[in-house]
Amino acid sequence: MSKAGSGSAGPVIVVCLRPADPAARVDPVSGHVDRDPGMLGLPPAEAAALEYGLRVAEAWSGRVLAVTAGDASADEVLRQVAALGVEVLRVPWHAADEEYVADLAADERALAAALAAAIRKATGPDGPALVLTGDRSADRGTGALPAYLAHELGAAQALGLVGLEATGDHLVAERRLDGGRRERLRVPRPAVCSVEAAGVRLRRAGLPGLLAAASAQVPVAAAAPAGGPQVTVGRARPFRPRARVVPPPAGASARERLLRLTGVLDTHEPPTVIGPVDAAEAADALLDFLRRTGHLEAQDAADAAAR
Amino acid sequence: MADPRVNGRAAAEVDAVVVGAGPAGSAAAWALARAGKSVVLLERGPFPGSKNLYGGVVYGRILDEIVPRWWEEVPVQRWVVRRSTMVMTATQALTVDFRTQAWGRPPYNGMTVYRADFDRWLAGKAVEAGATLVTSTVATGLLRDEAGRIAGVRTDRPDGDLRARIVIACDGVNSFLAKEARLLPRTNPEHLTLGVKEVLALPREVIDERFGLRGDEGLDIEILGCTGDIPGGGFLYTNGDTVSVGVVLSLAHLGKAGKRPEEVIAGLKAHPAIAPYLRGATLKEYGAHLIPEGGYNHMPALYTDGMLVAGDAAGMCLAAGIWLEGVNFAIGSGLAAGRAAAKALDAGDLSASGLSVYQRELEKGFVLANHERLRGAPDLVLSERVQRRYPGLVADLVEGMFTVTDPKPKPGLLALLRRAARRNDVKLRHLLADGLRGGRVFR
Ligand SMILES: Cc1cc2nc3c(=O)[nH]c(=O)nc-3n(C[C@H](O)[C@H](O)[C@H](O)COP(=O)(O)OP(=O)(O)OC[C@H]3O[C@@H](n4cnc5c(N)ncnc54)[C@H](O)[C@@H]3O)c2cc1C
Repeated sequence: MSKAGSGSAGPVIVVCLRPADPAARVDPVSGHVDRDPGMLGLPPAEAAALEYGLRVAEAWSGRVLAVTAGDASADEVLRQVAALGVEVLRVPWHAADEEYVADLAADERALAAALAAAIRKATGPDGPALVLTGDRSADRGTGALPAYLAHELGAAQALGLVGLEATGDHLVAERRLDGGRRERLRVPRPAVCSVEAAGVRLRRAGLPGLLAAASAQVPVAAAAPAGGPQVTVGRARPFRPRARVVPPPAGASARERLLRLTGVLDTHEPPTVIGPVDAAEAADALLDFLRRTGHLEAQDAADAAAR
Repeated sequence: MADPRVNGRAAAEVDAVVVGAGPAGSAAAWALARAGKSVVLLERGPFPGSKNLYGGVVYGRILDEIVPRWWEEVPVQRWVVRRSTMVMTATQALTVDFRTQAWGRPPYNGMTVYRADFDRWLAGKAVEAGATLVTSTVATGLLRDEAGRIAGVRTDRPDGDLRARIVIACDGVNSFLAKEARLLPRTNPEHLTLGVKEVLALPREVIDERFGLRGDEGLDIEILGCTGDIPGGGFLYTNGDTVSVGVVLSLAHLGKAGKRPEEVIAGLKAHPAIAPYLRGATLKEYGAHLIPEGGYNHMPALYTDGMLVAGDAAGMCLAAGIWLEGVNFAIGSGLAAGRAAAKALDAGDLSASGLSVYQRELEKGFVLANHERLRGAPDLVLSERVQRRYPGLVADLVEGMFTVTDPKPKPGLLALLRRAARRNDVKLRHLLADGLRGGRVFR
């Protein structure tokens, strides 16, 4: 299979990918997942992880190894990844994925251990400089795997990133905070980073790469050590919240109670039509309204305190 | 990076590139790969069938040539055992209903399939035979050698030129490659119709009950006169747990009518003869696609130096009123193109004269034989009278026949025919002339 920069002695950037069927159907009652193996593709966050991996590898003159845990149905996706000049590796893994709950119970710690073992073996004594993943897999999405992986590999972790850049020997990552703010992190090596599907698009493979990869064999790692599930899952039941006691509507007659319930005779503030005005005036009018209705008080107080 | 290889040979120049992994392209690639040629099958969608739309019925016997006992593995929805032809006006409907259990047994007659499943399956056969399928890749133009002969295709991928000794254009109706090779003239709306289709979900048991079906039995209804002022027709097919309902509209008239296609489908779905079938159904999919309905008289030249054209790209969809068959014609022409290309490659003559073997292959088979025999059908079937007046005439005639007029004596058939013709503004001599013409066309 094709090797990016094969022979280059640079660091190895590992990207862990979980192909998913974007149109998988889940039975809401039984939790049975109906996947079409022919539809497996790279979910956007995984594609973003791969693009970041390629960029970092370029900056560090390193190479990229894409690793997937799964059965042979993942090979087609790995071939497409290999067309980008990336080394690929499949870790044999049989997810109990027909049942969502059983799949969760199969425990991401065991999966992380299997992936880490394969990564260590493939990257030799130096180990990976960076491991990238999507922030959460598209079809189960607990987001716990990267943290377990970091633990297994003894690496730092920075999760849920929206930006990642290699500056010199360092990695600078960006993450969303509440209130529209961002934080920038300096990430030491080795690290496990998970990224959101934001800001980057996976590059397209060139035609020669695609043709070369089309019929190539996907290397398969040695069988992963069997690790039994660490989580016990009981019977799956539909979610039935407790009934809430709601006070009965006041009123002597059924009609009055009905009117109270539907609120037809309550007075409402009529809709305000503003304009035609420019955008700034419209925004002011909207802010005034929010202040009048008490929606902005907390924010105003916080702003004043900050000043 | 390793040297790209196709079928074990360097991909710098492959024997053939087939553009479009629809039924025509997959069949052509299969035939070439079976003949031991290196072939790349290019598809612009993420997988074969992802960009394709059609009504829903495939006549599968042509698959005998590719997969013996194909019915054991084809991704079928239902086997058509019941076929109805419906003639409609806004308030009337006459149905001729035919059912045979023979069509429900191998080798079967028609089947409803989803194109996403079927095209993927057929392309899989080409890949199994040794073709290299490249998806999400658009052929954007033709490559030519120093002498100006076609020598491959340009694609939208980085480093995307793919040199090939022969190009087979199976890129569907309005083929961009056939146009670039100056085989296909500029688009003429007169020879195109617009097919518009909805897929509606209904539980399997409801479909079985409403349409009188059991197990994997299916129904195919072809409809005439359901498109109001716009010449065209309609269809309703049953799948496993959906039904496909759609209309086929004359493109030229649609433009002039200023009506939206979805209004025409809405009209069909609300028709008293159709609405009860669809009660409670929910919309799953909506799509529209052009159909080349010009037939034999408007087919482009089928080959030029270094290139062949097959399937809808060559206008090979058979649209002759009671028939709307394109997939089987696409497969048939794709197989012929693949075989002809393999012969020309063996003979080392890829000039137009070397490739003329394709035309001969097609003439020997059902594709051109049917098109040639039915060459007059598109003009007749798409004519104003057939599409817009005869449905009313037939429905009025039948209504007259079945209306009991006591205490008046029953009117004679000729009187009823005259009355129906008058009401629908049809002259009896036109009816006679069209009848004779139809007799000649469908002889
Ligand atoms: C509404 C409707 C109803 C129909 N009903 C029926 C029916 O019931 N039964 C029947 O037999 N036929 C039916 N037909 C006709 C049938 O769909 C076509 O005749 C048939 O699909 C033609 O096959 P093809 O392989 O030639 O082209 P297509 O099926 O159109 O395939 C062309 C392929 O080429 C690809 N492509 C196009 N351009 C490029 C490019 N530049 N680069 C790479 N790839 C490209 C496309 O993505 C596509 O996969 C219907 C058509 C319509 C529109």
